[in-house]
Amino acid sequence: MPDGMSVAEPVAMNVARRSRAWSRDAVLLLALALLPTTLGGFWVYGIGVCMANAMAVLSVSFLLRYGGEVSIGHSFFLALGAYTVAILERQAGVSVAIGLPVAALAGVLLGLGFAWPSRKLSGIYLAVATMALALAVPELILQLGPVAGGYEGLYVAKAPLPGIPLDLQRYYLPLVVLAMAVVLLRRFRHSRQGLALLTARDHPRAAEAFGFSRGFARLAAFAISAGIAAIAGALLAFSASTVSPNSYTLWTAIYLLVGSVISLSGLGLVAALVGGAFITLVPQLLAAWGDWVPILYGFALLVVVILGDRPAETLTKLRGRIGGGRHG
Amino acid sequence: MADALTAEGINLAFGGHRVLTDVSLDFRAGQITGLIGPNGAGKTSLFNCLTGLYQPQQGSIALCGRRIEALPPARRAREGLARSFQHVALCPDLTVAENVMFGRARLGKAGWFDAFLPLPRGRAEAAEARAAAEKVLARLGLSAFSEALPASLPPGTQRMVEIARAIVAEPRVLLLDEPAAGLNAAETRHLTEALRALAAPDLIMVVVEHDMDLIMQVCDRIHVLNFGRRIASGTPAEIRADPEVVRVYLGDPDD
Ligand SMILES: Nc1ncnc2c1ncn2[C@@H]1O[C@H](COP(=O)(O)OP(=O)(O)O)[C@@H](O)[C@H]1O
Ligand SMILES: [Mg+2]
Repeated sequence: MPDGMSVAEPVAMNVARRSRAWSRDAVLLLALALLPTTLGGFWVYGIGVCMANAMAVLSVSFLLRYGGEVSIGHSFFLALGAYTVAILERQAGVSVAIGLPVAALAGVLLGLGFAWPSRKLSGIYLAVATMALALAVPELILQLGPVAGGYEGLYVAKAPLPGIPLDLQRYYLPLVVLAMAVVLLRRFRHSRQGLALLTARDHPRAAEAFGFSRGFARLAAFAISAGIAAIAGALLAFSASTVSPNSYTLWTAIYLLVGSVISLSGLGLVAALVGGAFITLVPQLLAAWGDWVPILYGFALLVVVILGDRPAETLTKLRGRIGGGRHG
Repeated sequence: MADALTAEGINLAFGGHRVLTDVSLDFRAGQITGLIGPNGAGKTSLFNCLTGLYQPQQGSIALCGRRIEALPPARRAREGLARSFQHVALCPDLTVAENVMFGRARLGKAGWFDAFLPLPRGRAEAAEARAAAEKVLARLGLSAFSEALPASLPPGTQRMVEIARAIVAEPRVLLLDEPAAGLNAAETRHLTEALRALAAPDLIMVVVEHDMDLIMQVCDRIHVLNFGRRIASGTPAEIRADPEVVRVYLGDPDD
């Protein structure tokens, strides 16, 4: 047996790193909270959308982290959340304050609905199955008819809180929800369900031998991920102020995955914001440089192939190589 | 038999390849039973049948008189079966203490709200789980490693952590698959003592192991498998004296 000293040091380092991460996140949140006092409306709008996108990246990262699976279909759950908010506002006159929890519930339920029939699939096969979801989204939205506003989509303009300017609410709601999500996910990591999902991801047989079936692990990981994605969609609808079918294409789903990989599928605040910034900016840049589209497409495909069957393991290795950045 | 894990007429094949042929044996409470045999004899496969990871084509399995062969692995865990794996199966992202805590996660009542929110019941339960894990780690002399990640530990220590994970929920059946593989002499002595200390009147304990000194020292009874068949059962002395066992397994291959 090696002597205790050899492991005491990394342990102390872990503790120190964790408390550093807390204070870094606190500073970052404070800065984000103060930004609207100094920045113009364009930036406030852009960063608001970026934080909603960060939440969307978290949903894909959660599935990678806890389910060990790749999704190229999360635009479906994003659209689900966004349209839930928009349609509820239009039809029932309620704001995102009601729309968001309804969206989260719908996301979890449809996540379960998708995960159950696909529970035997994994790796590239599951990724392709999720892709079918993404491909169906625009058509599904149009099928809803005038309720969903067709190609033009719908506006989301109802303020959840009275007395505060709407453009500030469009900024602070995603900030508050994102911060809460990061904190709740950090707690989840230490819960018995969190331990079970992580073990099931790496050693499904060990998880089974200790009472957690593969079906449970898949359904739980997917349902939570879909719930986070639907919340992100609700935030996105509110912060961007519109929903329309062309915001939820296969491309959206691919950006989400690439954004998650670029942030090393971290579940911390910084990782989420990096991924969120990526998927906020890249479509803008692509609009300017149309020639780059095929290259990005190829890159995205490469990412899926490299992650392959053991995405969690591959990412862990990557993370280790890039400097031990164990986010969240 | 009342206090025993019994397998009757187990037949297991993969494609045309027969792995277990008509294996019938029992493991009794209060005893440490050794399961030995050459590599490929089917020891791990038998464990997998007992825990439900493999579905034998034929045969029945009963725990204390209750048939369990139709239960999925997760349900058998709830019946009190726990095991370690020949190839260490700890989660690399979890600390040693967390890996051990997972061993009793199924006993928890904390729901999904507890998983995300700091509610009193979930917190109390998590503290309880941590205390139980620390206690088991201390019992196996592993306290110094509780905050370490498994990959930073030598293979022998990782195996001990697997044992800790298996016993933390106080199972009725403990199946250990080659716990001494990769251990040095001092570690093996430590393990031998630990196994002896684990024995309890109501615990059914089974050890698959190639280290014959360890097997002969800790086991009350031994079953011998060869090419998927049970060829002998008995006390360590009987097994050592069994001519067929000596010929196929214990004998010096140079003879
Ligand atoms: N999942 C499996 N698929 C095919 N063959 C298997 C499988 N598991 C075990 N076997 C075969 O069963 C035989 C017994 O293996 P095992 O139970 O691991 O032996 P032991 O643990 O005694 O060394 C070996 O020939 C092995 O190749
Ligand atoms: Mg084996």
